[in-house]
Amino acid sequence: MKKKNDADMLAAIVRASNHHAMRPALVLDDRTYTYQELFGLVGSLCETLKNLKEDIIGITAENCIETYASILAVLLSGKTYVILHPDYPAERNCRIARQSGIGLLLYCGENGNMLPADINARRVCFSSHQPTSYSGIMPYNVDPEVPAYIIFTSGSTGEPKGVPISRNNLNAFYQAYRNLGWELDENDRMLQMFELTFDVSIVSFLYPLTLGACVYTVPQKGMKYLNVLDIMERHRLTFAAVAPSVLRLSHPYFKEISFPDLRYLIVTAEATDVNLLHEFRPCIPNATVVNLYGPTEATIYCTSYVIPTEGAKHHNGMAAIGKPFQGMDYMIASPSGKPLPAGETGELWIAGPQLMNGYWRAPEKTAECFVTDLSGKLYYRTGDLCLTDSDGDIMYCGRKDTQVKIQGFRIELGEIEYHVKTFYKHSCNAVVLPVYTTDGSCELHLAIERETEDTESLEQYMQSHLPSYMLPRRIHFIPCFPQNNSNKVDRNQLLKNITQ
Amino acid sequence: MKTTELLEILNGIFRKVLKREDITLTESTTAHDVDGWDSLTNMILLTEIENKFGVRFSFREIVKLKNVGDLCQTIQNKTK
Repeated sequence: MKKKNDADMLAAIVRASNHHAMRPALVLDDRTYTYQELFGLVGSLCETLKNLKEDIIGITAENCIETYASILAVLLSGKTYVILHPDYPAERNCRIARQSGIGLLLYCGENGNMLPADINARRVCFSSHQPTSYSGIMPYNVDPEVPAYIIFTSGSTGEPKGVPISRNNLNAFYQAYRNLGWELDENDRMLQMFELTFDVSIVSFLYPLTLGACVYTVPQKGMKYLNVLDIMERHRLTFAAVAPSVLRLSHPYFKEISFPDLRYLIVTAEATDVNLLHEFRPCIPNATVVNLYGPTEATIYCTSYVIPTEGAKHHNGMAAIGKPFQGMDYMIASPSGKPLPAGETGELWIAGPQLMNGYWRAPEKTAECFVTDLSGKLYYRTGDLCLTDSDGDIMYCGRKDTQVKIQGFRIELGEIEYHVKTFYKHSCNAVVLPVYTTDGSCELHLAIERETEDTESLEQYMQSHLPSYMLPRRIHFIPCFPQNNSNKVDRNQLLKNITQ
Repeated sequence: MKTTELLEILNGIFRKVLKREDITLTESTTAHDVDGWDSLTNMILLTEIENKFGVRFSFREIVKLKNVGDLCQTIQNKTK
């Protein structure tokens, strides 16, 4: 019994909240909340949720204590949460709400109208819940296959795909993540910079709470990378998981940046440029740098690589992603699905207890991404091209298809193309191309096969259907797309045309 | 330099970098009010501004900038 409890992430959080009641749990816009304050609010929300029949709970993403308390309350009451983002187009939130079957929306302030009236979900404003007196919370005993959360990722048909992560998945992740050998305790100060619609936010927020440590969230107002650096410096954070774009954008100020208290820097969400990291090293003299990789479908992260100060392994400058988490297995697969020897590039397939059971209510999409090897083992096809070196470290070599990552968000270019073609009522072709600038960042360019015209109404249409990170930075009109030998649009030639 | 003159120059830089002619900055304008003013373009804007006025912003100064008024104030302090 004791052993089972030890493996449960939520039970560990409840234990830490009781043990460290008077210690700081969350610092948000420079206001500190103790474990007692945070879990007082969680307890009150849990009471409300337990008396309601709805199981899929929408939560509006805001940088406020109520949002974080709601996530914890949904998890502890044995239900499933889905994040809706006030900055995302209403249409996208609507699709997510419909697809996931949200029965209740927990919102803050003015966001009660985020979903149109025809979405039949109960609206509950969480600021109306005053913290009750602090009393022990127990995680609700629930079927471990019940999803803890559903994260929506980009889908090529214009319909976002729901990734449900069960309690079993989350606990398998927790076990493996703990075993990475962190030396962390209740005195640590840890960063949470990610949007709550992105799964790295979940570990950035939940893991510190298992230790009794303090989480520092980043205001979404203003320039985010500056807010991140400001918080890391002023609060002398000891642990920070960041997207490499934070390093890229702060490059001009490396000489002025100093984080001597930082003991761990996690780079994640996209490929890390080892040269840029090398230049950043003097800013973080006492930190171990770890590259963590994983698709949302395999619960946040599933491989790790400690990037050494000298002799970092990389492929075309992109840091190695290292070895699989304990309990996880992988294979580098040839196009015909055979395992490839070390040194050969193929698609990374992942197996193990962190894998989701399948996309939410989308069996055909699930069938496309899962594959069974000759021994009957179930793998998830990541779509990432990788190879292993002679030490068994995995190198990331790029995306197999037309998915790209921008600001940590995985984007299927087909989804943007789909909306553009819909705008033109499918009367012309549209291609979105990732253009990598000299500093390694990715910009989306949209090429439309027609004569040049005003783009204002198209831009408005895209803004109302796509989140801002998916909006193309440039629009090009090309009357006739180049074609390759098999009469497909020659994306490489098109890229040359638009970047010349 | 007066703030009004400064805002005129900044308008020119913002219009050029963000490729939009409809930008008119005031002291209370923030990044939230201007389409295209994001983390990436912020870097380009700051470099252009530094070159134009022959100044260099420190990391601390940039972190403190909350709106265009703060930006004007910082430039004025540096060009006194």
